Amino acid sequence: MRALDLDYMLGLVPVILSYVPLTLFMAVVAMILALILASFLAIERVFPVPVLDWLVMLFISFFRGTPLLVQLFLFYYGLPQVMSFLTQINGVTAAIMGLTLHFSAYMAESIRAAITGVDRSQWEAARSIGMTQWQMMRRIILPQAARVAAPTLVNYFIDMIKSTSLAFTLGVTEMMGAAQKEAAGSFLYFEAFLVVAVIYWIIVELLSQGQKRLETYLNRAYAR
Amino acid sequence: MLRTTALTAVIAAALAGSVTAQENDTLVVGMSGGYFPFTFVNQNELQGFEVDVMNAVGEEAGLDIEFETMSFSGLVGALETGRIDTIANQITITPEREAKFAFTQPYVIDGAQVVTREGNDEVAGVESLRGKTVAVNLGSNFEQLLRELPFADEIDIRTYESNIEQDTALGRVDAFVMDRVSSAQVIKESPLPLQLAGAPFSEIRNALPFRNDEDGQAMRDRVDAALTALREDGTLTEISEKWFDSDITTAE
Repeated sequence: MRALDLDYMLGLVPVILSYVPLTLFMAVVAMILALILASFLAIERVFPVPVLDWLVMLFISFFRGTPLLVQLFLFYYGLPQVMSFLTQINGVTAAIMGLTLHFSAYMAESIRAAITGVDRSQWEAARSIGMTQWQMMRRIILPQAARVAAPTLVNYFIDMIKSTSLAFTLGVTEMMGAAQKEAAGSFLYFEAFLVVAVIYWIIVELLSQGQKRLETYLNRAYAR
Repeated sequence: MLRTTALTAVIAAALAGSVTAQENDTLVVGMSGGYFPFTFVNQNELQGFEVDVMNAVGEEAGLDIEFETMSFSGLVGALETGRIDTIANQITITPEREAKFAFTQPYVIDGAQVVTREGNDEVAGVESLRGKTVAVNLGSNFEQLLRELPFADEIDIRTYESNIEQDTALGRVDAFVMDRVSSAQVIKESPLPLQLAGAPFSEIRNALPFRNDEDGQAMRDRVDAALTALREDGTLTEISEKWFDSDITTAE
């Protein structure tokens, strides 16, 4: 057991921190895109359209059924061999695309469950006062579904932040890639990876605090 | 790429699509950033022998050098598809690679070296690798050299993206094979308990590969002329002395 090189670790903190914006950028963009895509997928699953429904099921099945790393390699290293225009896609874009598709499949399922979980009486009440399908969804169903889905969706966002570390396998220098390269020069692997782990941990802890606040806010109408 | 703040670089890249390689006076150079002391990162600064050589080439040939770091095994693919224009990562000239790429003159003459954990005297060169596990970098010429040995089927060859020195020091593999000069440098500079095992077993010549098309060859000629000038005015020797305390840029 050798002593930890604390000076080296302290020196590394600002270096790794400078990549936090990139990590958050990838996660936030992928989260927004995945939310949009997942909402469409979920609504289609609730009100099925022939043929399209089959495609949506296939999509969800594939992206939930294969590892994210395999999907990223398929996009970035595989597809450009058969579709040459894809070579213009850089690692960051490929990572965002991969995260979007992968997580939208999961999110679609939790949004769908939240929508179908809204009590039948709510649907009937909305229809009985003559609301259109769209009005009913927008005013009655989705606000209640959001309350149920929100904690799960934040969990997916946290998962997404951690999954951006896989982008380093596509040659993107993000937090993990930066640590790997610093370690290649210093050979202090334990210190480098420990710094990265702690920084991820702090980011996720901060988000969990935000998650608690969000839940309180969404439940305000139900607070006794 | 590494020196600019990560975020602006990324957003710019994400919005503009990737850097299109081969824009007149820009040379996009690919490297792993994880091969001490040729290309590595310290405090966010990409540095090493390759970085110095390419910067000198850029100055000599009037080219803007842009460095792109990616995993070593992805470099050749990136060169083929035009994501980068050349690779500065101790690329050894082999018949297979020469058939595919246009190479400059060699700028490093080196040898393949077996390295083992300190105190492991069972491994004393390439002959003693029979029945041993040996780490090499995936897609590297050293992987080829090992597979071409007459007793290759008796060696358990493990391919890695990085960290072969660490796994040898930890005793997970019996040895690794890399080039002689960086092996010596790693033993001297790093805290890892390693030792050279025997003499170098194969001479290797390293050069810069370019795509074998009209633009690629024109760029190769330009860079090659710059290398000749840098060799003649002693710059290459100087850079080599800085990193290795010896001249690795010419044959003995």
